[in-house]
Amino acid sequence: MSTWTARLDNPLSARLRDAAITGYLGIFLGAFAAFLAIPPIEARTITWPILVGIVAMLLGVWTIARGRRRLGWGAFAAGLLGIGLGVLATYSSTDNLNQAFDATLVAQTLGATTPLIFGAMAGIFSERSGVVNIGLEGMMLMGAFWGVYGADKGNTWVVGLALGAAVGGLLALVYAFFAIHLRADQIVGGTAVNFLAVGITGYFFVQLYHNAPVPNGVPLLPNVSIPGLSNTHFLGAAIGDLNILTWAGFALVILTYVVLFKTPIGLRIRSCGEHPRAADTVGINVYAIRYACVVLSGILVAIGGVYLSEGPTGNGTFIFNMSNGLGFIALAAMIFGNWRPAGAFGAALLFGFSNALALRLQIYSTQAGTLFRALPYVLTLVAVAGVIGRTVAPAADGKPYVRQ
Amino acid sequence: MSDPERSSAPEQPAEPGTLAARWNVKQRAGGIAVPIATVLLAFFMGGVVVAATQHSVHKALLAYRDIFNGAGLNWIFHPTTNLLDISAYNLSQTLLQTSTLILTGLAVAFAFRCGMFNIGGQGQYFMGIIVANWIGVSLVGMSSLPHILLALALGTVAGAVWAGIAGVLKATVGAHEVISTIMLNWIAYWFGSWLFGDGGPLQNSTQPTIPISDQVSPGARLPDFWGAQGFQGVHVGVFIALAALVVFWALVNRTTLGYEVRAVGFNPDAAAYGGINVKKNLIRAMAISGAFAGLAGAIDMLGGTTNYQFGQLDIPVSQVGFIGIAVALLGRNTALGTLLGALLFGGLLFGTTHGLNSGAVIQPELAGNLTYIIEGLVILFVGADVLVLWVWNTPRRLFRKRAKPATSTAELPA
Amino acid sequence: MGDHVADELVLEMRGIRKEFPGVVANDDVSFDVRRGEVHALLGENGAGKSTLMNILYGLYRPDAGEIRLNGKPVSFSSARDAIDAGIGMVHQHFMLIPVMTVAENVVLGTEPVRNGIFLDERGADKRVAEMAKTFNFAVDPDAFVEDISVGQQQRVEIMKALYRNADLLILDEPTAVLTPQEASDLFEILQTLRREGISIIFISHKLNEVLEIADRITVLRRGKTIETVPRAGATEASLARAMVGRDVLLRVDKEPAQPGDVLLTVQDLHVRDEREIERVRGVSFDVRAGEIVGIAGVDGNGQTELIDALTGLQRIESGTVTIGGRELSHPDARTALDAGIGHIPEDRQRRGLVLEFTIAENIALHDYAQPPTARFGWLFPRRMIDRARTLIREFDIRGGGPQTRAGGLSGGNQQKLVAAREIDRDPKVLIAAQPTRGLDVGAIEYLHRRLVTERDEGRAILLVSLELDEILSLSDRILVMYEGEIVGEHTGEVSEEAIGLEMLGGREPTAA
Repeated sequence: MSTWTARLDNPLSARLRDAAITGYLGIFLGAFAAFLAIPPIEARTITWPILVGIVAMLLGVWTIARGRRRLGWGAFAAGLLGIGLGVLATYSSTDNLNQAFDATLVAQTLGATTPLIFGAMAGIFSERSGVVNIGLEGMMLMGAFWGVYGADKGNTWVVGLALGAAVGGLLALVYAFFAIHLRADQIVGGTAVNFLAVGITGYFFVQLYHNAPVPNGVPLLPNVSIPGLSNTHFLGAAIGDLNILTWAGFALVILTYVVLFKTPIGLRIRSCGEHPRAADTVGINVYAIRYACVVLSGILVAIGGVYLSEGPTGNGTFIFNMSNGLGFIALAAMIFGNWRPAGAFGAALLFGFSNALALRLQIYSTQAGTLFRALPYVLTLVAVAGVIGRTVAPAADGKPYVRQ
Repeated sequence: MSDPERSSAPEQPAEPGTLAARWNVKQRAGGIAVPIATVLLAFFMGGVVVAATQHSVHKALLAYRDIFNGAGLNWIFHPTTNLLDISAYNLSQTLLQTSTLILTGLAVAFAFRCGMFNIGGQGQYFMGIIVANWIGVSLVGMSSLPHILLALALGTVAGAVWAGIAGVLKATVGAHEVISTIMLNWIAYWFGSWLFGDGGPLQNSTQPTIPISDQVSPGARLPDFWGAQGFQGVHVGVFIALAALVVFWALVNRTTLGYEVRAVGFNPDAAAYGGINVKKNLIRAMAISGAFAGLAGAIDMLGGTTNYQFGQLDIPVSQVGFIGIAVALLGRNTALGTLLGALLFGGLLFGTTHGLNSGAVIQPELAGNLTYIIEGLVILFVGADVLVLWVWNTPRRLFRKRAKPATSTAELPA
Repeated sequence: MGDHVADELVLEMRGIRKEFPGVVANDDVSFDVRRGEVHALLGENGAGKSTLMNILYGLYRPDAGEIRLNGKPVSFSSARDAIDAGIGMVHQHFMLIPVMTVAENVVLGTEPVRNGIFLDERGADKRVAEMAKTFNFAVDPDAFVEDISVGQQQRVEIMKALYRNADLLILDEPTAVLTPQEASDLFEILQTLRREGISIIFISHKLNEVLEIADRITVLRRGKTIETVPRAGATEASLARAMVGRDVLLRVDKEPAQPGDVLLTVQDLHVRDEREIERVRGVSFDVRAGEIVGIAGVDGNGQTELIDALTGLQRIESGTVTIGGRELSHPDARTALDAGIGHIPEDRQRRGLVLEFTIAENIALHDYAQPPTARFGWLFPRRMIDRARTLIREFDIRGGGPQTRAGGLSGGNQQKLVAAREIDRDPKVLIAAQPTRGLDVGAIEYLHRRLVTERDEGRAILLVSLELDEILSLSDRILVMYEGEIVGEHTGEVSEEAIGLEMLGGREPTAA
């Protein structure tokens, strides 16, 4: 706060010396190096990506030297990666490039990111209060099925959204009871939740729809058309027609940040996750906060699940085990983002981009596309391995609290 | 200073600290009664779901009877070796399912003994499949026995390495093995999809469009010992699985390695004080754990008539790695318990998918999902050790006036 | 002496009784505090000080007795009640969140709010800064708790109490974690607080500090109030006598020692703890074969770190350790074991035993991989069991056989198990740290006799204990440790008070 204003007053050179800024700049330039070679810029010589990439790597080294290891290594890696991808792109034909990288890729990325945002924010709430939630995958799946069922029977997407969210919250409540009250092992409980969700959604899918797919015409989550933007070529295709939940997701990220870091309740939530006994001694009800956060996380991730079936990609259908690992990718995004909303959002974007790109890369080869799907997990593994600095979970994450 | 009356009371820490110690408490608490009760409760709730949705309690009971028959357990009423007999055939398939689950269960159990949660059995299983397939498909000229042994061995090693990665991460940077193994699960899954998919190196030569492997060469297939023309027979993998149970037991209870692993699992501080290298054991335990899962994959690859398919969204992919968690937890991480747990889930898995096939009671698709529900409930209940501890302490509470004597004045606030 | 207002009592505790299973922690304790005074609560480990304060702070309910605040009877069912009544407690183990700032820690639970929903960060900062200035705390509200010094962290704890308008502050052994400089800073702060009308209860076992800061001193011993005296007229000697003098219990029958060769030499040892604070500051002594050397001292004066260093569990910063003539450089647990050290650890459940293992398996903890217990990695449980059976007989371990889980044994038998394992390895030097903690009389007697027996077998025995009784009755030579140094050495007959005095940082006044 006060230090930020102090920063603004300093001359430009002093600001540049601030390692954090150079680090982020390095990451940006690394991405830019690859970006140079793809439409719309579509530079065709390798000099450009290489130059920009080298600058990014240098910035990364500088950032490391100034003490911000994680950021610096991120910039260095981004630079290296950017050179690689950029060079690769220059070797590809312009036709393929134009096909793979167009404005709709942005839209698809944002679409793919949407469930991940809800999942990652859900995870953040739960884990920041001290409860590990491996069951995000299962709760997302519940949202996917019950969302489309509710929309079908209720004849409006609102009912679908409400039902999906409610069921997600309910499953989370059961989990919370086992994890908080019975102090059961949280990993085991989360795994159980995932199994239960697969079974319950599968069972009722067959039961309620008599072994047939969901009929056509189920009202979907609406898209939001931004007037005036549809004229512009790029922006119109990119963000002119995004789904309502995508915009809600952006809002959620901001909301999560504000609630967790700018409100008293957020302070208390975080204290429960860091040092529950300290919170208890100042009169905070640790159990109540944990319950609330876990149920909230169930509701949020289930909403993300509703997007899967009720959104533009789902088109009002439900497929067995529809979440198919997205819950785990959301978990990965939360970890990769170091349990912070902005970081998790960035990670979710990255992973969403990776998934969207994977489909696009099919024009080159189906193999590249498939391998890309593993990227979020590889990145998270690297992050967890501490190669680019430690990931720091809330200190009391996963440890049941015992009132004395 | 201290009360002489207390001299005979056992001195326990307030709550067992490590993961392995907690599971050990559960094992001692109630022995076999609690797992049985857990299973019964889970089945009961599953039955309630069926009854409620089919609007008939009778149907629920029939469903269970069909599961029983479907698993081939009615074979015991009239045993025969003729595989054309339905119950014999069902039993044979159940045995196959069981042997896989024994191995994935042992994988989870071994890691638990060292205080670690190996949730990556699925990925390690995949690696076993992949490597065994690769060996089985490529080295066509090899004679049968060495070919099989090589494929099995390398599949096992693949699983060990895959789990070892998580072990190394835990020992060196303290990365939580749950996170790393979950990530590794999915990396293995997509790796497999790529390998067997369109254009992938291990792609099926005749069906390029779906991610499916090639058939393993006939020489590398595990021989059947109870087979019949045209049917999937019971291959020797069953014996390998049973042997693995013995190996597990021996490793844990009769070797210095097992001693170290158990010590680290129960109390790393005391283990370190005794001169045991904690980090080395964490890695070792994960690697051995992964070896069991990798072996499971190798056996399945070499034994089955079908090639392995990696799923698109709509093709269900085997979940044996995760079911192994239920098996191990139910079996309290012991060899015998794992065997019984594997039998239970093997029967349940096969029984629901095939026994209820006739559709007379409930639709087969419902049946498969019922299995998931029951599995989920079992895992959920098994994880609630407070419940178990509470039940365990009930007789003690009833018979003694004081619940827990304080252990020393120095521990009391002074 | 303070010139505080009239003798108005801000707190009265009368006839407090609190019993835990097997122990009466507070026995008819009465205690009061005047407004604006610093009242020290003095006593050894186990005297009942912390229990009394936990009752006051609402963490325990008393079995009997009454508490009055400002004349009105009160009864607390939780810490919240006590906080609301104006009582603040600074625990020995801080209740602070390292990753949050000072201001956040202070306002947690009673946060100032802006516009109804937002955390008023700037407001919180301001209030904390104001408080810091008033009381001269020198703490930056924006700093993260993990980045500031321990002394500053303690001040944050104090601010937490003041922020909630505490007018009675309880400090539990506050100087235990401070450097001498920080301790004197703390005393200045206490003076400032007094001037502002805040009453302070100062729990301690250190005589010199208590005499420096307190207006009145209450001494507790074994759960009872011994006396309450004003500072004027109290001396270290008189306080020590009150704290320590007692009816003596067991004396072990033993022959005078016949010390032989030096088996353990410690030379100018320096050891730091995890927070890089020096805990052992230049300790030198030796122990001969056939003698028991006892180290007396109040908990927290470096004994734990000393033992950890000798047994290879803690790094030695400088100095040497020589065992049986061989100098150990940077020993780890294995090296120390091999060099001939046996160790009965003070925390038998954490370090000494694997409770889930059987007796036999625990006996084998150090040498399970050696023949005859194992060969080429294969374990022979039968041999472990046989060995265990012998030791069970020899050490009279009751409660089960070789295949009984160690956790199923009573404390005394668990300790015998540890002792059996260590002694069976025939160590040159046997280190016993709090060997009879939590044991019943029978077990204590057994272990004492055993230690003497081993002494007579020619081992060098180093005994560390918080129980002065034990030290006095067992040791042939006594060293007293205070704040990381050896401050006294005694052979032969020595008075309890003299030792007690040294343990508490005092010195026998030289004959006038």
